[in-house]
Amino acid sequence: MSAEEPQGSPARESRRSGPHVTLVRWMENLGETGFAYLLLTPVFLLLGAVALYPLIRTFELSLYTGIVGTGDPEWVGFQHYVDLFTGQADRLFGGPRFLWGEVVVDGSFPFVHVEGLLRSALAVTLIFTGVSVFFETLIGLGQALVLDQDFYGRRWVRVAIIIPWAIPIVIQGMIFHLMFHPSAGFATQVLAPLGVVAARNTLNDPSSALLIVIVADIWKTSAFMALLILAGLQSIDRSLYDVAKVAGATRWQQFRMITFPLILPTLGVAILFRTIQAMRIYGLIDITSDCTVVPSLSCMVVSTFITARGLSAAVAFVTAGVIAIAVAGVIYQQYREGF
Amino acid sequence: MSSESSDGALARWTQGVIHDDEQRKRLYRALFYIVTVFFLVTTLFPFYWLLVLALTPSRLILGGEWDLPLLRPQGQANWAAFGDVFQQIPFHLYVFNSFVLAIVTTIIVLFIASLAGYVFGRLEFPGRGALMLGILAISYFPPAAFLVPLFDAFTGNAVAVPFLGVELFQAPRLVNTPTAMVLPFSALFLPLAIFILTTFYSQIPDGLEDAARVEGTTRLGALFRVIIPLSAPGVATAAVLTFIAVYNEYFFSSIMALDNQAAQWSPLVGGILSYQSQYTTDFHLMAAASIIGVLPVVILVVVAQERIVSGLTAGALKE
Repeated sequence: MSAEEPQGSPARESRRSGPHVTLVRWMENLGETGFAYLLLTPVFLLLGAVALYPLIRTFELSLYTGIVGTGDPEWVGFQHYVDLFTGQADRLFGGPRFLWGEVVVDGSFPFVHVEGLLRSALAVTLIFTGVSVFFETLIGLGQALVLDQDFYGRRWVRVAIIIPWAIPIVIQGMIFHLMFHPSAGFATQVLAPLGVVAARNTLNDPSSALLIVIVADIWKTSAFMALLILAGLQSIDRSLYDVAKVAGATRWQQFRMITFPLILPTLGVAILFRTIQAMRIYGLIDITSDCTVVPSLSCMVVSTFITARGLSAAVAFVTAGVIAIAVAGVIYQQYREGF
Repeated sequence: MSSESSDGALARWTQGVIHDDEQRKRLYRALFYIVTVFFLVTTLFPFYWLLVLALTPSRLILGGEWDLPLLRPQGQANWAAFGDVFQQIPFHLYVFNSFVLAIVTTIIVLFIASLAGYVFGRLEFPGRGALMLGILAISYFPPAAFLVPLFDAFTGNAVAVPFLGVELFQAPRLVNTPTAMVLPFSALFLPLAIFILTTFYSQIPDGLEDAARVEGTTRLGALFRVIIPLSAPGVATAAVLTFIAVYNEYFFSSIMALDNQAAQWSPLVGGILSYQSQYTTDFHLMAAASIIGVLPVVILVVVAQERIVSGLTAGALKE
């Protein structure tokens, strides 16, 4: 594993010296497979150390209780997973927390709170993912159809639509936090009379906060969907539309019979891709509202990883499992297309 | 009576739209502009509101007297906010940290992804498809799934072989250093760069590489002297996307710098969070800080939008 390093680095500095020539000759004489695996070593090292090892180790840690490294960890088997699904672990999450002075949040989320916060965190994550990806796809499709046209200033419209995608999550969250803030914002004043959000403590109200987080995500990520769908739109053969026009098809018919079927595969990939990303939601919630108000799966991992490491690892592994289901869908798709 | 005449007008207009091609085209055109303006307003409005908030003096914000629906800065525009941002906390240091982290990560990712892109794009070997799928699968896992063991190792605990209990080595205490962020960032954003570069490197004709080999360069020499320079747009694309991704990252940025201190390499995230947690009523400063934090990526998007569009579509759709 570490044998690569001392060989590679000094040789690179001293050009034309003995070991360098030997190394080059050795590399040149490697077969194609050997050479390929040699060049991939850094990838294996990096992904192995920072992704694969933590993933397996997370599973191991989830079977113990106590903090590994300080004191003796105690083997508890699958107890953490059982606790999560039976609600025994609830007391370790959330609890009363103070936001802005006297406003108190209790960690519960009655909207979908069946029993056990994991159920609700699972539900919150899935609701967030489903609703935001649905609207991102619709709006992204609309934006892509606009950008597919030829018009004056198209370049600048495209820049304007991409910008929300490119801004840091912390600033996206800050914008929506400020908009609905009781003293700085204006949005509560406008939307509360319409019954869209709660009139008081908007950001501490579970359903209002979830709605705000969803809207913030749609605002930022629709552009991503738009760009993917646009790529699909622009690969459509334009002469198909000429044929359709000659045949007397209306715009709607053209969309339904030509555009939509042809972008459907792209749309499918884009939706799966976004679904996987959306299920990671954490930062936006953390800054806009709070993890106790809108608990997502990643939120639960972060809020417990110092105090209850084994439990946190169990949640992390469940999160990875949920996402793995979506990943399996993508992989299967790629496999069928002959990757 | 007026409603009747407008009914008549509406009916005539509807008839026109149905039967007259010209009129129908005008309608589509008008609808198109309405939709475009709608998208422009919804995407840009939050930035306008941020600017309004930054320019409004603090005591007027606390009054909450917005002149709705036309949001305007209240009172005298307070440009001083953009200077004060750097006074309360060293905000420039946080932005500097973000730049350093993003640039270092980008260089590491480009180097490793170039080697991998060459392998996947130009070599045929057993296990190629399986390896690409493996990298793809790893890139899909959430950062939360890596957090617990990484934090454990970065706080200076022993790294052990899972399930065997064999301790490999004692990691140095890496939290609050750039390494604790650059390592996870590199792993997170490596796969996208690999897929982008694979696409671009595979498009270079074999003849060019062969010519370089005949001239006497090694295989690696051909990669660095012929293939990478010829794929400059692809490399730029991967660089821009990696830079933006690191600059925007939240998860590890907020966790690996423990106290959100600029001196402990906390990036932009830490700066904004400091305002939110310490200066809880300085809303104009939060807004001003956000605008300053957004500027680098906005400039990057305006300059490199072609690269971003091609990279996202090449990378994500190939993935």
